[in-house]
Parts: sequence; structure tokens; C-alpha cells
Amino acid sequence: MNRALTVARLQSVAWPSVVGWSWGILASSFLINLAIFATIRDADLEPTTGGLASIYIVMFIACINVITQDFPFAIGLGMSRRSFYLGSVIHFGAQAIGYAGVLYLLSVLEEATGGWGVGLRFFGLPFFLVENPVLRYLAFAIPFLLLGFIGFAIALVFKRWGVNGMLTLGTVALVLFGGAAVLATWQRWWAAIGDWFADQSGGALLVGWPALLTLPLAVASWLIIRRATP
Amino acid sequence: MSPVVVTVADLTKRYGDVTALDGVSFSLGENRIYGLLGRNGAGKTTLMQILTAQQFATSGEVAVFGQHPYENESVLSRISFIKESQTYPSNLRVHHVLRAASLVHPRWNEELAQQLVDDFRLPPRRNVRKLSRGMLSALGIIVGLASRAPLTFFDEPYLGLDAVARQIFYDRLLADFTEHPRTIVLSTHLIDEVSDLIEHVLLIDKGRLLLDVEAEALRGQVLTVAGPVAAVDEFARTGAELHRALLGGTARATVRGDFGPADHDRARALGLDLEASSLQDIVVRLTTATNGSAPSTPGVTRKEVLR
Amino acid sequence: MEDGRPIFLQIAELLENSILDGTLAEEGQVPSTNELAAFHRINPATAAKGVNKLVDDGTLYKKRGIGMFVSAGARAKLRGRRRDEFARQYVQPLLAEARKLGIDPAELKHMIDTWEETR
Repeated sequence: MNRALTVARLQSVAWPSVVGWSWGILASSFLINLAIFATIRDADLEPTTGGLASIYIVMFIACINVITQDFPFAIGLGMSRRSFYLGSVIHFGAQAIGYAGVLYLLSVLEEATGGWGVGLRFFGLPFFLVENPVLRYLAFAIPFLLLGFIGFAIALVFKRWGVNGMLTLGTVALVLFGGAAVLATWQRWWAAIGDWFADQSGGALLVGWPALLTLPLAVASWLIIRRATP
Repeated sequence: MSPVVVTVADLTKRYGDVTALDGVSFSLGENRIYGLLGRNGAGKTTLMQILTAQQFATSGEVAVFGQHPYENESVLSRISFIKESQTYPSNLRVHHVLRAASLVHPRWNEELAQQLVDDFRLPPRRNVRKLSRGMLSALGIIVGLASRAPLTFFDEPYLGLDAVARQIFYDRLLADFTEHPRTIVLSTHLIDEVSDLIEHVLLIDKGRLLLDVEAEALRGQVLTVAGPVAAVDEFARTGAELHRALLGGTARATVRGDFGPADHDRARALGLDLEASSLQDIVVRLTTATNGSAPSTPGVTRKEVLR
Repeated sequence: MEDGRPIFLQIAELLENSILDGTLAEEGQVPSTNELAAFHRINPATAAKGVNKLVDDGTLYKKRGIGMFVSAGARAKLRGRRRDEFARQYVQPLLAEARKLGIDPAELKHMIDTWEETR
């Protein structure tokens, strides 16, 4: 466990650049939107900008970098794969928890100020109006984890099996999703699928299902990293 | 021999059809400097990667500090492995890398690290992506020396370093080793530069261990004699001939044997000229003597005729 | 260090030379193994082996916790031993070269005498 914490600290030695990228991009996206909304002003319906996605994308890329860049560095310094994985999850999990907290507060602030005085809905989540604060917080946090572990898993497949592994993974994914789509069209399931999504609560879509998907990805990443080489 | 730090038994590593290591066995003693010598692609890096659990063996056993290194924190925290191909996260600066290394290595000496940064004139605030090849090598050397790990591997640590910087490395290595003895493995093909620092030689060629011998025992074991063919033949009979060149009635032969001053006298009495062989000469002769499917035991004659 | 000969022998010889020419006095202290290693840029274990060779043949002796010292009478003993080696090291190759050039022993002696006079 000590060595896992060492890995987490190791990944934080240049913390300004770690925090800076995520929040810098989010901040610039926010400022641009704010400027646009301030000039247009007469926005029809309360629109969602989608700019919030930028911080999730940055974190996703950061998790890919953890495997492609931090992994060879940490293993080169003599960390075990176990410590590296645990430490990376701690490092990334702590960011997810903290960032989600800040996003939550910003969304509360956004509501309180009437969309920053210009009717901007930037931090408020789309189609998700649950007032339960815990669920609302988790709706910010859990997608971080899902994207993070998708990043880990994909990068680890590349690290362990190289380009061939990525091609295989891509082919398998294509066959599965493509096959499912063909099957759904053939069986005329699309309407049913649409209904199913519509029936899901915002909580289920942003918290429940992502949490359920995160778990097997975390296990798969662990199994792959056990025999990965830097 | 001093307490054993590393044991390798019948170690083999294959990448597909390529055999990188082929039944290698040896052991390393505590507080000695080893030279891991061999040509590029001989298997040196693979060997060190397996000893540090970065790669997986195909077969055979390794023990480091008595245990298998894989996922073994107590072993890994006592190792420092500086490899030529080490990459760094692209957002790190020099001082970040040193800070990271100090977190990982329990015996890290910050004073020494700072001293070495000055010696090598490394800009501490420069991003690792903007370091020259030589500066990257210097960074690795600093990490390797300042970590003071009981088992330290340097894999071709001097790429891009000029002669002055390399001499700084050798001097600092020797000075710090003297004050803080530890087991050091220097993997290199610049043999002449390190030959005086090495206590023990491990020579690898094509994945096989050709030599596992004290450097001092090797010095003087190999003689090159030149003179009339008959006299050279006569002398060469007392050892294993590694190489011969002919020019008319004159021959020059490199011979390996258990030679002492009496053998030098004998050569001179035969009217032969004696040439000393450096460690580098010896390694070159041994690694070129075993060609193709030739057996791994040194002593295979290769003849070449000059006209 | 010179190639082709064990370094510890060369270290032992260097120390012997210093004793012979008086740089290292009898009962005087000899540089430590680490000093020798740093100065000659060699492995400390090799330097120690060279020093130990001289301890074994009585040229040097160890004072516990202080270091190595030159034994009393070491200089005379070394000189005697070196004189024996002199013939092998210098006279034999001299004669071999002379024979190659067709210089007979009498002529060689004459050459040595005149060389010594003109010097």
C-alpha cells in the first residue's frame, strides 16, 4: 500500500500541469460560452452547451497517458505492477472525487445565479433534473471513473499486445456492435430500445449503468497489467 | 566469494522465433562491479529486464536477493535499473524526474544528486522532451548513482555523452562505490573505457554466456604473438588459438591460455614478438571467433589469409 | 594501466618502485586502497589485491585500524629480488636482439663499455 501511495505521489510531481490541463480547457470553454451567451442573450430555450464534456475528455486522455507514459516510467523506477495499478487508481480516483465536487458546486452556483446572469446552462447536466444531492454528485463523479477505466483498458491492450491487439479489439467491437445493430434492425427492436432508454431515469443512465460497466473494466485492466511489459 | 545477490539458472528468453537468451547461468556477488559485455543485440538488455521483472522469462530461474523479483516490492525497492531506452512522461522537467526517483529509492541521496546535476551541467528546469541525447543519459546516470541501490544496473548509460562527461561518470561511480559499496552491473560495449573499473566480466554473445571470469584472470590470459609461422605454431600449441592472420611466411596468432611470465620468455626465446591484449581485444576475439553454428565454447579457430 | 597484465601486479610493482626509489620510506605509511583506486581509476578490490600481495610477501605490514606500512628492511629485500629479475627482464631480450643482428657477446660487452663512457 505504501508503494501504491508512492506511485500516486510520483504521478503528482508535476501536479500543476495535471490540474491545469483539465481545468484550463474547461475554463476556456466556459468563458467562450459565457461570452457568446452574453452577446446573444435572447436564447430561446434553456440550452445545454456540451462544453462540460471537455473535462471528461481531458481526463480520458490523461488516463491513456497514465498507461503509455507513466507506466514505463514507474516500472523503470522499480515499482511493481500491483502498486502501479493501485496507485494510479488512487491518483485518478482522487481527482474524480475532487473534480466532481467542484463541478457539483459550480452547478449549484449556476442555478443560484440564473445561469451566470445570462441564462447559460454549462455545468447543469442534460436531461437530468434529480434533486437528490447525492445522486447529483455521483452523476458528476461516476462518468469520470467509467471514462478513466475505458482509457486504462484500451491503452493496456495496446501496451500488452501492440497494434495487433488494438486491431483485434477494434474488430471484435465492430462485430459485436455491428452485429447487434443488424440484429436490432432485423428484429425491429429499435423502438423497444428507444423506449428502454427513455424509461431509464437520469440516475440510472449517469450513475447506475456506468458504475456497473466500470467494474468489469477495472478487473480487466488489472488482469492485463499483471503481464504487461513497459 | 561475497554473499550472492543474484542467481540465474538456465535462463532462456524467446521472442517468437528469436532466442534472445539461451540457457544462461551465473551469479552475482555483493559489493562488486560487474562488466556485462557483448555486442549490440547480444541479449544484455533482455537479461537485465528479466532480473528487474520488466520482462518475463520463457524458462529458467532467477533469484534477486534470494527471491523472485516479479511483483516483489522488497526486491524491487533495492534495485536501480538505468536503461538507455528509458522514457519519461512528457510533462516532466528534470527536477520532477529527480523528485520522482527520490520518492521511489529509499537510499536516495539528494546532495549527491544535486552535485551530479552541477557536474553534468544539467538544466534542472528543462522539460525532458527538450533534453539532448547526452543530457538524457546524464539524467539516467544521476538517478542511478544517487539512488544508491544495493543492486544497480547501468545499460549503455553513456550514449551521446562526450569524453569529458563519460570520465565524470566513471570517476563519480568509482568514488561513490568506494564510500558506499554495492553491486553494480555495467552493461557496455565501450569496454576499454571501463575495463579498469570492472572486477568481474560476463560476456554474452547471441544469447549465450561466453565468459564468466575475474577481469584480472582474463588479463594476460590472451596473448598475441607474431613471427615465423613455425614458431607461432609451436607457441600456439600451448593454448587455444582464437585468431590467426598470415602474411607470407609470417603469422600473427591470438592465443588463449593460462600464461605467466615463463610463457612470455618462451615466446621471446622462439623469436616471437609479443603484443598485449586489452580486455576489448579479448572480447572482440572471443565474439568473432564463435561464428554461425560454432560451439559456444571459446577457442574456435578462424583463419584469415592476407595476401 | 597498461594492457595485457593483471592490474594488481602493476599496482604491486608501482608500490615496490616507490619503496626502491625511497618515495615510500621504511616504516612509512602506504596510500590506502581507496586512494590508490581513485588515483589510478581502478576497481578498489583490484587495488586491495595488489597491496595484499605485498603484505603476503612481507614488504608491507598492516597496523589494525590505521593502515598499511612499509616493513623494515623491505628496500634491501626488494633490491635483491629485482636484481635477480634484471637478467630475465633486460639481459635476455638484449642478447636475443643482438643475436638477430649478428652481434656476438664480446662485441656486446664492448658496446656496453663504450656507451657507458660516452654518456
